[in-house]
Amino acid sequence: MIVQRRYDPKRVMVFIILSIIVVSFIYPLYFMLINSFKTRTEYYINPFSLPKEGLQINNYITMISQFRLLNLFKNTLIISLGTVILLLIIGILSSYVFAKIPLKGKMIIFLAALMTMFVPSQVTIIPLYVGFSKVGLVNTYFSVILAYLALFLPEAILLMTANFKSIPDELLEAAEIDGCNYFQKIWYVVIPMGRNAIFLAIIFYFIMSWNDLFTPMILLTKMEKRTVMVALAALMGRYSGSPTFQFAGLLLSAIPALIVYFIFQKRIIQGMSFGAIK
Amino acid sequence: MKTKILFVLTLATVFLLILNFSVFAGGPKEAEKEEIKLTVWINGSDSYIGPEEQKLPQDQWYISQAFRRFEKLHPGVKIELYVPPDQEGAHQAFKAAVLGGTGPDVANLWSGQAIFNLKDVILPIDDLIPPEDLKNIWGWESLRLDFKPDGPILGYPASQNQLCFLLYNKKIARMAGLDLDKNPPRTPEEFNEVLSKIKALGIDPIVVDESFPWFFAWIGDYWWAQVSGSDGILAATHGKRKFSDDEGLLNALRYYRSLYENGFFNQDMGTSADSWNRFLQGQGGMTPVVTSFLSDAERALGEDAGVLMPPDISPNAMITNSTIGGPGQSLVVSKSTKYPKLAVALISFLNSKEEVIRAQKVQQVPPVRTDLTIDELGYEPGSNIAFLYKNYAKNYIYWPDNLLTPGVAEVFYRMTPLVALGKMTPEELAAEMDAAVGR
Amino acid sequence: MVSSRYGTKVKWAAMISLLPLVIILILIRFYPISIAIWKSFTNWDGLYQSDWVGLSNYIEFIKNGPFLKILRNTVILLLNVPLQVFFGLLIALLLYERVLGWRFFRAVIYTPQIISAVIIGYLFKIFFGFRGPVNIILRGIGLDSMAIEWFGNPYTALMVIVISITWYGIGWQAIVMLGGMSTVDPSILEAALLDGANYWQRAFRVMFPMILRVIEFGVIASGVWTLTQLFPFIHVMTRGGPGYETTTLDYMIYIKSFGFSFGINYGMACAIAVILLFFIISITSFEMMISRRIEVKGLK
Repeated sequence: MIVQRRYDPKRVMVFIILSIIVVSFIYPLYFMLINSFKTRTEYYINPFSLPKEGLQINNYITMISQFRLLNLFKNTLIISLGTVILLLIIGILSSYVFAKIPLKGKMIIFLAALMTMFVPSQVTIIPLYVGFSKVGLVNTYFSVILAYLALFLPEAILLMTANFKSIPDELLEAAEIDGCNYFQKIWYVVIPMGRNAIFLAIIFYFIMSWNDLFTPMILLTKMEKRTVMVALAALMGRYSGSPTFQFAGLLLSAIPALIVYFIFQKRIIQGMSFGAIK
Repeated sequence: MKTKILFVLTLATVFLLILNFSVFAGGPKEAEKEEIKLTVWINGSDSYIGPEEQKLPQDQWYISQAFRRFEKLHPGVKIELYVPPDQEGAHQAFKAAVLGGTGPDVANLWSGQAIFNLKDVILPIDDLIPPEDLKNIWGWESLRLDFKPDGPILGYPASQNQLCFLLYNKKIARMAGLDLDKNPPRTPEEFNEVLSKIKALGIDPIVVDESFPWFFAWIGDYWWAQVSGSDGILAATHGKRKFSDDEGLLNALRYYRSLYENGFFNQDMGTSADSWNRFLQGQGGMTPVVTSFLSDAERALGEDAGVLMPPDISPNAMITNSTIGGPGQSLVVSKSTKYPKLAVALISFLNSKEEVIRAQKVQQVPPVRTDLTIDELGYEPGSNIAFLYKNYAKNYIYWPDNLLTPGVAEVFYRMTPLVALGKMTPEELAAEMDAAVGR
Repeated sequence: MVSSRYGTKVKWAAMISLLPLVIILILIRFYPISIAIWKSFTNWDGLYQSDWVGLSNYIEFIKNGPFLKILRNTVILLLNVPLQVFFGLLIALLLYERVLGWRFFRAVIYTPQIISAVIIGYLFKIFFGFRGPVNIILRGIGLDSMAIEWFGNPYTALMVIVISITWYGIGWQAIVMLGGMSTVDPSILEAALLDGANYWQRAFRVMFPMILRVIEFGVIASGVWTLTQLFPFIHVMTRGGPGYETTTLDYMIYIKSFGFSFGINYGMACAIAVILLFFIISITSFEMMISRRIEVKGLK
């Protein structure tokens, strides 16, 4: 939107402001990084300094070999991937109806779904736990996935419906003329046109389910099936604990989330044609 | 591109479904052979698991190996260990699990009120405890329902006896011209004098992060309990007396406030989070701790880590020369267990002499067993921990804050620091505690 | 809407599409929520005891609890929403330009949300601590009187919390808005440029109205988020203290249900949750009313 000139002071300013903001965003990662290489006592003495007593790589080695971080990754991955995939399937189908199909009563369902967005999960978790245990679903990955679906679907649908609404009807009609049935229309028209919202949803909900502490803490108690964040939280005893060890774990566990983000954000944010006037 | 995505999605879904169903089935089928399985919940590093142990593979932890030793003594028994991620929530989780049919056989929970509220799901074990244990282990009072001397016993005291004291920096004391080992302050006046001398050096005499009332719960409570006694506190929390009439409480709170007013605490104690760091760096004269802090302190300060017991608030108090302490943890048996005798046997085993001695190598804390010598425990004579064990393992007042019923406890934990900061008067706090009785 | 060639086949397909959603919502949200509402009128202790006590939970909470404080805190914390949206929008505008390193900036902008909220809360707590970097800087430039105990006073504490969650949320806002901005046809902006519009006019008269829907979504979502997801921040920075000075409704639910886990007054926790629900619905309807007004005004 800004008319381009080389060394335009406006662009320099934009660059500076963005740099400052971005540095502040990255700082927590830097903080965790330098402290993950310290010993526990060194960290207590000064959390802000660079590690002086040599780089303690054992935090990382221990994380992978003995803490079995990769096993925790597997567990969390099952849940996050499962959640995202099911969320997309159910979400896209539902959003299409809400956006394009005149169906009697769909607004009631839509509003009802939105309303559930307003109830925090602390309230429903215990009745849910009791209910799950009655049908033998406790300690299964599926219970956590179901809980996440219920939590994320309303917001995801909100996002995707708004996006799908802007798909020109002519495209859908054209597809119908070409012989597409209901589901083919979704596959060939809606999904490509709604790419933005879909990728956004993948990013948001993968990261949210990856980072979540509360729900898997209650529903998944078997040590073998624990998720990453829960296991890392357990490292913190009330008075003793090993923050430096935790930081190493937190950094490592941020990596998958960052990877997913980087893969998908390119397509949304960078793949689009923007208005920079050449 | 689309076919690639579709392909990947299908693979991922199939992969997930397979994993999920293998898991849906509920894990490896435990056939009902002669194998008996006990599930045990153990708290994280405050209890049986040492601070450095969590870095090691689980089977190398002290507690896992203790379980293996037990299994050898009882062939056909397998013990499964589980560490709840959140100690506070673990109590609620325990109740939910037992009622939902997925509860453990044995659980390591807090003692006192925390488990009284769980009495519906805990098995009283009076008739299963071997008499030697009753004799040689200290701290049963906090495991009897409602602290009644004849109440049913809900569990064993867990093998650590945390004692409260003030950790002080000997170097700073020397700089102030004090020898606190030889001449510890025993009255408030003497204590104030010591604190002023340290303050005169420009160093914070007491550093603490009091947004949670650590100082008051560990040291200030002593001044309260000295005068009112555990019975008095219990009576008030059950409404038979009023906190507003409890001079012991009010005096303790007044002294607490005066300490802040005189500048003996770090000014930001209501919101700070770095007092422990500062103490370890030598920027604080003393700080309130329990025994498990000793190892970190001794590592950071070496010879300069000193132990100072709280002064007595009055020479006429019911109890003097003591401190707050007691087993804050317990081992209980759930009502849903199929093997109560075995569960108790396991707990008794963990509290046996040999196991306690072994546990000391992982974490040095005074045990609840009272028939051990300093040598057996591996304490160096003259060390801080030997001093504590010798003089206070049997001479402590059980945690007053653990005596409080839930509503009162909530008020106590949230509002007490406000008294020190001057945002609430002692009388107001007492009145709030009275109002909370029965909630 | 498309022509009415919607025979029964399509209707069936639509209903099947919605079916999983409905089932999941009923089982996992409506059922527990209705239980929670029912239990709010009892003295439920989590699992066993459950005697009807009518409105007493509500009355007790409003009378005895620090209800007014909580209301005040909730209102103040909601201030982060306009802040978040505003700065998010600014950043989105900045990111829209292809300055040097734009790929990197866009890539990194979401990072705070990828990092656990616990760490962020913890860092803010350290930074605004009495001896923390912020105060050190303030003292260094001579503003000693401002180097206070930020978390000791409810208003400054709330301010710090607002800053932290705004910081946390602007990345998300920026991305969502960028997504919206990318659907805007650049030729419209070119046309405006040719018509002589300067930057601000192009940004706020042309771009802004086209992404209004997106902004509305951002406002509502962050509003709900503020009312229900602040737990890690408050828990790490203040625990709701000193006293109850920085407690919010959703933190109160935690205190009553999981805090100290002795005596779980779960019935009371449910009552608070219902009150929270009531709040959320009113605030959201209010927000929607306002955005309708703006839209209508824009159409004139």
